[in-house]
Amino acid sequence: MLACVITKGMDKIKAFFEPLRILDKRAMMLLMIAEVIMAILLWQLSGGGLIPAPARVFTAIGTIFTYPDFIDNLFASLALTIKGMFFSIVIALFISYLSIVPVFQPVARFIVKCRYLTLTGLIFLFTLLTSNGHQLKLSLLIFGIVPFFVTSLLSVIENINKQEFELCTTLRMNKWQQLWEVVIIGRLDQVFEVMRQNFAIAWLMITSVEGLSMSEGGLGVMLIKANKYVQLDIVFATLVIIFALGIFFDFILGLFRHWLFPYTKLETR
Amino acid sequence: MNRYSKNKVLLSAENIHLQYGEKKILRDINFNIKDIHREGVEQGQVVALIGRSGIGKTQLFKTLSGLIKPTEGVVKIGEDQHPVKAGQIGIVPQNYILFNHRTIYQNLKIGLDNGEAKLTEDEKRRVIEDYAATFDLSEHLKKYPAQLSGGQRQRVSIIQQVLTGNKFILLDEPFSGLDILMVDRVIKLLLKVSTLSEQNTLIIVSHDIENATAVSDTVWVLGNEDGKPGATIKKEYDLCEMGLAWKPEIRTDRKFVELIDEIKQQL
Repeated sequence: MLACVITKGMDKIKAFFEPLRILDKRAMMLLMIAEVIMAILLWQLSGGGLIPAPARVFTAIGTIFTYPDFIDNLFASLALTIKGMFFSIVIALFISYLSIVPVFQPVARFIVKCRYLTLTGLIFLFTLLTSNGHQLKLSLLIFGIVPFFVTSLLSVIENINKQEFELCTTLRMNKWQQLWEVVIIGRLDQVFEVMRQNFAIAWLMITSVEGLSMSEGGLGVMLIKANKYVQLDIVFATLVIIFALGIFFDFILGLFRHWLFPYTKLETR
Repeated sequence: MNRYSKNKVLLSAENIHLQYGEKKILRDINFNIKDIHREGVEQGQVVALIGRSGIGKTQLFKTLSGLIKPTEGVVKIGEDQHPVKAGQIGIVPQNYILFNHRTIYQNLKIGLDNGEAKLTEDEKRRVIEDYAATFDLSEHLKKYPAQLSGGQRQRVSIIQQVLTGNKFILLDEPFSGLDILMVDRVIKLLLKVSTLSEQNTLIIVSHDIENATAVSDTVWVLGNEDGKPGATIKKEYDLCEMGLAWKPEIRTDRKFVELIDEIKQQL
């Protein structure tokens, strides 16, 4: 009996190391929990010097929650990210949909290449073009996100099966109806997925742009201040909060996608 | 039982050539599909276009539907024989493309929305429910295409084209990848569609000689002729004239078996 249990346990552990093995949900969850515990243990054992140990960081998280301006900072970052995301997606969708019209294609392709432009070099230009710190941060955020959005959206459009357009033609749809049915409505779920993936970029950039105008606060401002006073436990605690919030929003957007577009959960038989 | 007459030309091709650069794909394609009349039956037309893989069947298929413009020649459609325009001939592709973001009901409704007949929403619902009942799809109307089997998607794809009002429907490899029972169901389905209306014309593009021939009234064999580049219709078999059309038990007929052998020799 005991031998049987041991053999089964060994088989399960072996499966963790087998390439292409698909684990069931429970096994995967166990594996993830075990690896997180191991990572925290490693962190605890190697910490204590320059890098604060997990216990200190978790205590610092508690301290951050008691800061009177924490909620304001959190909402400042969230509001800026959501605002930036909203304008970015509108601009990126506009550019991407227009890219189907040949005359706009070069513009879209140029914007895709703008991923290789550095924001730092453009701060001065944007400072001149905008009238206050909020606008500066927002415009830099949008400028940073839009090329990535457009890249992903163009890839979605390019991967559309030509037969879908042929189907529309046989169903007597004109070109505008085809654009609406196949590219816009037919790919809304993928646009949402692109938005979800690029939310990470926005969240990543937010702390950088917030440092440009600190009067509005934000998690980025908290990070800069803590760095300035070498409060490394607060820095790491803020990073953990930013990380956890990012994962939380990713999860929520994933749920939203399945709720809004139920067919995305279905697999073709 | 098999008394019939062939009347006006419904679809014709005149001197079709298709060439990409130096490569000739199709050469000198000529044919006429005539309206068949049979007493007491709304008899449509079913033509099988048979050829080996890679011979140019799909290119001819797209040329006939107006999706590709031939390098030379013209495809004419309807009783007035006007040049075909994309959208006048329906297509059922091999992989049964449907709008995955729409339910089956909505997929079928798109056919009606863009169809010739202008119907109210209530009328559309009734028509869709009628067709769904006829073709065993009633319980699937609220599902998405990804929830259906290949055979069910094929039926939706065909009905979608019928509802658009397309009298001419091209089917690309409708028997491909189906088991023997499903093939029988598809044959029944095709016969049903072909007898829905007098002018309904199905062109089945296939390399499955036996099944495509069994369901058809005309067979075209697409192939290459010695020393000449590009595929052409090498041979046309009028199965009505041969007494091999519209027979449910045709597979057991010796003449049919001989015909299949003869077609195989042509390929």
